[in-house]
Amino acid sequence: MPDNFEGFIRQHRDEFEEQGPSPRVWAALEQELTGSSKGKVISLLQKNWFRAAVIAVLLANAGALFYFTKNRQPQQQQDLAVLAPDIQEAGVYYTSRINEKLQLIEAYPDSTLGLDSTARKELELRNDTYKALEKELKNNPGNERIRAAMVRYYQLKLDLLDKILEELQTKHATPGHTKKQYEAEI
Amino acid sequence: MKVSATNLNQTPLAADIVERCKKGDVRAFRELYEAYSAAMYNICLRMTNNVSDAEDTLQEAFIQVHKSINKLEQAASLSAWIKRIVVNHCLNTLRKKKVYFEEVEEVEVMAEEGIDEAQFTWTVAAVRSAIHGLPQGYRTVLNLYLFEEYSHREIAEMLGITESTAKTQYMRAKEKVRQIVKQQNVTR
Repeated sequence: MPDNFEGFIRQHRDEFEEQGPSPRVWAALEQELTGSSKGKVISLLQKNWFRAAVIAVLLANAGALFYFTKNRQPQQQQDLAVLAPDIQEAGVYYTSRINEKLQLIEAYPDSTLGLDSTARKELELRNDTYKALEKELKNNPGNERIRAAMVRYYQLKLDLLDKILEELQTKHATPGHTKKQYEAEI
Repeated sequence: MKVSATNLNQTPLAADIVERCKKGDVRAFRELYEAYSAAMYNICLRMTNNVSDAEDTLQEAFIQVHKSINKLEQAASLSAWIKRIVVNHCLNTLRKKKVYFEEVEEVEVMAEEGIDEAQFTWTVAAVRSAIHGLPQGYRTVLNLYLFEEYSHREIAEMLGITESTAKTQYMRAKEKVRQIVKQQNVTR
């Protein structure tokens, strides 16, 4: 026999439902589904995937910068923690994870990573896109599009770093094979 | 007629959409997504406990639905089939976050002395907040049993634990929710 708690949940079951997902989920899904038919492009990209990934991020950055500078509406800047506390909270979480991954990548020598200084700089958290988004968010804290772009930026960055690390760990070194060890060996 | 999860349970409509999806009709898949995305997103949100993971998990689950729909033989079981894919993806998301579902000793879970539910003011907000604050393992078992209505045996299979562990975890989770709601009643 259900107790009060279970009875309450069953009686109010519908009230526990929240609104559906944001439209960006379908947008991403649709892109994924239609993109999957471009087999040849994907197989070519896979050969140099992480250079391609960094280039993609660079292009996305350029696009984002163009969009945000073009649509800029100057307003008084305030602290992000006050204006968008939820984004600030997400930022703390993602920043910590991104920094962990960056430290791990940093342990590999430049020759192993195979990225030039511009591409390496792009991997850093506070790159130009980040700064542009942060500024726009302070100016327009209620703009859902900018808030979503900021979160997506963190997620893309984290995904990219994860993939780079995975590739490095698979192909170039055993766990714990750090820059210092590499230098000691040569 | 707008397609919803409720009227998709009507076999002819479900069968039509499934057939069109099998033929690669993206519009049919969109209809399927629109019918189920809200309910499935709520499962993801309850299970992962945050919006970002919920959206990513929902997206991955629907990619799986798209890939596997050719294997679905009976359109009548469409709802349960999609739901199971979504739940499995939620569990994978949790595992990636190093959430483990461990065996517990079989002990009698005693209700905390002095908790008299009759004295409680149960509210949706209080219960939701209490569940949100549960340890991930407890929350998972509680959600699967109470909200997704799986049996303890099914939950045990999904999590790779024994049925008695699933029951014990559920009892503990429930007890914890009671304690939190009680605390909220006291401090109000």
